[in-house]
Amino acid sequence: MKQKTLLIMMLSLSFLCHGLWAAGSPKSLAIRAGKIWTVTNGVITDGVIIIKNGKIDAVGKDPRIPRTVKTLEMPGKHVIPGLIDAHCHLGLSMDIFGEIEETVSAITPDMQILDAFNPLAEDVKKALRSGVTTVLLAPGYKNPIAGQTAIVKLYGVKTDDWLLKRNAGIKFSLGNEALMSDRRPTSRSGLMALIREELNKGKDYGENKLDPCGEILKRVVEGKLPVYLYCNTVDEIVAAIRIIDEYELNAMLVGTREGDEVANMIAERNIPVIYMPCLFLSKDKDLKRVGKIAGAGVKVAFASFAPRTNLSDLRTSAIIAAKYGFSPELALKSLTINTAEILGIAQRLGSIEKGKDADLVILNGDPLELTSRVGMVIINGNIVYQGEEK
Amino acid sequence: MIKRIVIISSLLFLCAFTNALGAENIAIQGGNILTISGDVIEHGTILIKDGKIEALGRDVVIPSDTRTIDAKDKFVMPGRIDAQSRLYVIESELNESRAITPDLNILDALDPFIKEYQEVLAQGVTTIYVTPGSHSLLGGRGAVLKLNGSKTANKIVLKADVAIKGVIGISSNNQSSSLRRLEHYSSIREALIATQGYMQKKRKYEQELSEYKKKKAEQDKQKKDDEQEKGKKDDEQEKGKKEKPKRPAKPKRNPTYEILAKVLRKEIPLQIEAHRVDDILNALRLADEFDFTLILDKCTEGYMIADEIARRKVPVIVGPVSTSFVDMPKLEYRNHDMRNAAILSKEGVKLALGVSGRDGISSKFIALAAAMAVANDMDKDVALRAITLTPAEILGVADRIGSLEVGKDADIVILSGHPLDTFTQVEMVLIEGKTVYERKTTQ
Repeated sequence: MKQKTLLIMMLSLSFLCHGLWAAGSPKSLAIRAGKIWTVTNGVITDGVIIIKNGKIDAVGKDPRIPRTVKTLEMPGKHVIPGLIDAHCHLGLSMDIFGEIEETVSAITPDMQILDAFNPLAEDVKKALRSGVTTVLLAPGYKNPIAGQTAIVKLYGVKTDDWLLKRNAGIKFSLGNEALMSDRRPTSRSGLMALIREELNKGKDYGENKLDPCGEILKRVVEGKLPVYLYCNTVDEIVAAIRIIDEYELNAMLVGTREGDEVANMIAERNIPVIYMPCLFLSKDKDLKRVGKIAGAGVKVAFASFAPRTNLSDLRTSAIIAAKYGFSPELALKSLTINTAEILGIAQRLGSIEKGKDADLVILNGDPLELTSRVGMVIINGNIVYQGEEK
Repeated sequence: MIKRIVIISSLLFLCAFTNALGAENIAIQGGNILTISGDVIEHGTILIKDGKIEALGRDVVIPSDTRTIDAKDKFVMPGRIDAQSRLYVIESELNESRAITPDLNILDALDPFIKEYQEVLAQGVTTIYVTPGSHSLLGGRGAVLKLNGSKTANKIVLKADVAIKGVIGISSNNQSSSLRRLEHYSSIREALIATQGYMQKKRKYEQELSEYKKKKAEQDKQKKDDEQEKGKKDDEQEKGKKEKPKRPAKPKRNPTYEILAKVLRKEIPLQIEAHRVDDILNALRLADEFDFTLILDKCTEGYMIADEIARRKVPVIVGPVSTSFVDMPKLEYRNHDMRNAAILSKEGVKLALGVSGRDGISSKFIALAAAMAVANDMDKDVALRAITLTPAEILGVADRIGSLEVGKDADIVILSGHPLDTFTQVEMVLIEGKTVYERKTTQ
């Protein structure tokens, strides 16, 4: 009996040791770099980040580095948190509307974009090379109620590795794209009527019904599932706000090109804005809009809408905005922590802080300089991209 | 009293007149001069006279009647060029429905009244290159234009008939099959072969015509001589003696072949838009077969065969640097790589960058495009050259613009910092010595 207990104890001890060893050694890493943009705690010059088990264990000017931990020396380099794309269609086909638009029916809240995501797609690798580590995948623009979004990390093949949120909210499209000549809705008023009709169905949804759409819309009207309302012109934005008020939705605006015209309405309600790629715009007047929206106190996140723009231009979008009046201090936040807060993943991502996921990007210059090059990308403490040394 | 008014007003008029002529001497002093063609001149001075660069360097003697512009701590560079622009071009005029229309001229589709050109100018772009669109196989002739603000189309033209724009393998409606691209290649080839036939016929006609003229002259002379000798006696004999030479029939003039003949005579380059490797190779093959001057346009997959392009010394206008600049990335962009320009330039290919934007005003992003190319491994100096001197060379206007050198047009941009830095502001833009943009400093 005693022997048996001893054996079990020994066995479990060895397992424990083995487990510790396996988890500890490859995922522990220290990085000493010229500038660390923590985003939430200012910039640390010549600081150190210690990574343990895929998480950030310490950040500071001179934290004690355990002897067993390997240190990457990166003098003069800049470290920022992995960038988060608040709205894109990555890992799908290049001919995007083939895979993200379900055009037979206008109401498809049960459609999951995750089902069309290929973690090994070529554009995923390109995204990594530009410092994007996490994205919100969204359905398309042609359905008033388009389907479920998902949040994924651009790392790994197994679902457990990369999936952060299976259903991160429902995308609604109030854009002109949703109006079609051969099915309902064909007009703007018709579009809003259809959305109200469906949301009312959600309100009336009972326990015993078997309707996957109704069930999801019930959670929407209860405020348990967030919604992403795609709208660009002032009339679309105001209609979106009307719906939000009527049903007390937990909502975000996506696109929002002319949001500056009604910035106060958006700010009063604390509705976050996921702004369209600035590369869609070319007139000075349009390029200045997002700065005005943020200036009114609205929380803004940038998005690439990839492949409608190149996903590697997520940072470009923020840089152009900054060039045209968006606050430079806010620009990096709107690519990291603000985006994480809007998407509800800030407890794990968006800044370089103890306890957060070790998703880091190392650049050879200031993150707001377009000429700065991404040299290394780390996700969960793993080096997932490394450029040639220059 | 009236006399005085007349004198004053005529004086005023004279002042305005001389101003308009740009006769005033201008000196831009103290800036870091990025000449592009040579070394950077720190704390240098540029002297402008009659719209041209009269002198530049560190010890330029400034004449007494010179207006000076202080450029201390500023960067000074030549006006930027977007070699893939659509500014001034009326959208509906961009494409013709027929396939072979090389005789069309983009100059006929310009709208110089578009106001937004000022936003492009405000980003330091002084020159653009516009071509017909991508729908026709041989779409017409492109032109280099200056953003000098003139409302007369002819006055914004720096050079017409720069090149004939052709395409190989462009899909329509995102559908493209290999059969279609073979058809593109063979249609262009057929047109060029037909041009060779046309040229041959014309040469033959000219030969025959000159023979005929010679014969006729001889005959006329003999006739005269005979007449002088014999007078008017032997009319009947005369008639039967000789046949009258027949004047050769003049071949019908064909504007398509006329202009393509210029391509085959290397008087005007053929600019072929091609994206995929096979299409680029087809363009190179055409140039080999017909021995014309080729300019490759877009060249999306060029990085895969950079050595092949470099070996043939074919210049390339690369763009868009990022697919974000185009409205809807087509199938041709499937293998687009932002490192394309860097890889091509490192292999020794002479290349210009273009914005290739979704509308005309997108040309304002040319410096941004250059910065993106630098972020993707392109050398900074090469990138700056790719938006100034290299496009000028490729488009055949380097004698006028593209660098800061004595004798060239005074198309100059004054910047608050390095041209590729994000927060650098364009302070002032001059075209041929005239200030065409000045930043408001009230902010």
